[in-house]
Amino acid sequence: MAYRLFGTFTKYLVLGVFALLVLYPLLLIVSTSLKDPLDVTADPFTLFSSFNPINFLDAWTLGGFAGFFWNTVIITGLTLAGVVAFSVLAGYALARFSFPGKNVVFLAFILGLMIPFFSVMIPLFYELKALNLLGTKAAVILPAMAGVTGFGIPLGVFLMRSFFLDLPEDLADAARVDGCGELGVFWRVMLPLSAPGVAVLAVLTFFQTWNVFILPLLYMPGSENQTLATGLYLFASGRTAETELAAAGSLIMVLPVVIFFLIFQRQFVKGLTAGAFK
Amino acid sequence: MQRDGTQSSTTIDLDLDPQPNGGQKGGRRRGTTHKSQQTRLAILFLIPALAVYLAFMVYPFFSTVYLSLTNWNGVAEAKDFVGFSNYGKMFGDGDVLKAFANNVIWVVLGTVVPVVIGLVLSILIWSGVRGSLFFRTIFFLPFVLPLVVVGLVWQWIYHPLYGVVNKALDGVGLDGVSRAWLGEPGTALYAVLIAAIWATFGFVVMILLAALQNVDMSTVEAATIDGANWFQRTWHIILPQIAPVLTMVTSITLVGGFSVFDIIFVMTSGGPGTSSEVLATYTYRAAFNQNLAGYGSALAMLITLLSFVAAVSFVFLRERQR
Repeated sequence: MAYRLFGTFTKYLVLGVFALLVLYPLLLIVSTSLKDPLDVTADPFTLFSSFNPINFLDAWTLGGFAGFFWNTVIITGLTLAGVVAFSVLAGYALARFSFPGKNVVFLAFILGLMIPFFSVMIPLFYELKALNLLGTKAAVILPAMAGVTGFGIPLGVFLMRSFFLDLPEDLADAARVDGCGELGVFWRVMLPLSAPGVAVLAVLTFFQTWNVFILPLLYMPGSENQTLATGLYLFASGRTAETELAAAGSLIMVLPVVIFFLIFQRQFVKGLTAGAFK
Repeated sequence: MQRDGTQSSTTIDLDLDPQPNGGQKGGRRRGTTHKSQQTRLAILFLIPALAVYLAFMVYPFFSTVYLSLTNWNGVAEAKDFVGFSNYGKMFGDGDVLKAFANNVIWVVLGTVVPVVIGLVLSILIWSGVRGSLFFRTIFFLPFVLPLVVVGLVWQWIYHPLYGVVNKALDGVGLDGVSRAWLGEPGTALYAVLIAAIWATFGFVVMILLAALQNVDMSTVEAATIDGANWFQRTWHIILPQIAPVLTMVTSITLVGGFSVFDIIFVMTSGGPGTSSEVLATYTYRAAFNQNLAGYGSALAMLITLLSFVAAVSFVFLRERQR
């Protein structure tokens, strides 16, 4: 593209400055996570002044980040599986079956995309308490699946429905002629074709659930099910918080996110723009 | 894209009956059976998603509406119906007014700044640079980071003694300016806001870059030949073509601004005092520290209403301008 809007120098200067502004905090996490404890007390935030990778081991064991990590993996995994499975089923029904009340059901799901978390926060606490779920992993998984902090089933139904609507009906008809019932059409023809749509939904749900803070903060108070988000927060705001271990813990939380993002950037952007452009 | 009713009603269904024990045996060849089979399957397919959604989203939403009309304290058996008095109480609550004012600052600056930065950067990238993939990825990266980590690392950046901000100020002889950015009432909100802008502008870049792919280059070239300068080209040729997406991204940021919680809670908890309190952090405190479930619910309804009004009025204003 030969379209010149600004001088080349100004252009790269602006982009470069912003790239540095983005990169500095990231480097600060990496640098601090590698600091020698003695170095931290003297000067914690000078970049890369010492190298002490044992911090990661200490954060993992002494800091308790191993537990936070596995709790987060389990919660994210189950939420992701639930959102994908339930959204595929519901999205398929709304796209491909005809039945009374279809539009009402779809509209009900879509409204969920507009409800801010705070308008369900308080009763949800007492509901989970009454169900004896407070403090358990289900207290994060079920609300996260319902989409109280965004995405979840409402977005999943929306995405999967539009995905299934775009699949050609000829395929289904061909399968029916070959003797497939409606369930067979879904299971053998449509479901295998839905992989790209499922990938987009799974990637969005992963980021959302891995990072979510307020759900474990509110609904798993003081429990042993702390996730990386709340575990890190409690660790860093604790009285004896070692900065270098907090940094190592941050990196333990961030690394999967960054790796996933670099691998699945396309699906991520696709999901967000699909949600945004429609 | 309605595809209903396009299924052939003469299709012979030889496969599994989803409800083997159900009625309708022997009528499988009829179109009505086909329809009712679809209805039954649809119900089965919808039940799991609907159950979770109704139980953990719809039900608590209506409970909030109800609770906001009571003076429930979260413990007592009785929930006394008090009408709209919680809503009346909000207008006399100084902390709410302070939180509301902070929220307005947050929504305005937290929307305008990322959108302007995002617009400039996306047009720069779009106009053709080397390493566009690098810049795009880097700018978007903060958006996927957990806000807990963003808050933590910015606390280090603002650290009164060791943080890079104060060190840089001291370094250039502005040590009079350096301060505890998160600890002083005058700067706490803005310091957190800068961290939040850092974490969100990449979202705008990404969305606008996608929109810019659809800009008709020939119109830009024609304007260039006609002697339009870069500002005129941007303002008159490019912006109108991406206006719908710009509206959309602005309203998304706008709506999110009224629900901001994580980053403020992590960095200042609304403090010092109430200097960086917003409606969400105040609602949290009212509901869970002071056990004012009824009053907290009314505050939650206020947040919902504000985000809704903000989004609708923005889209409305935009539409009217056309």
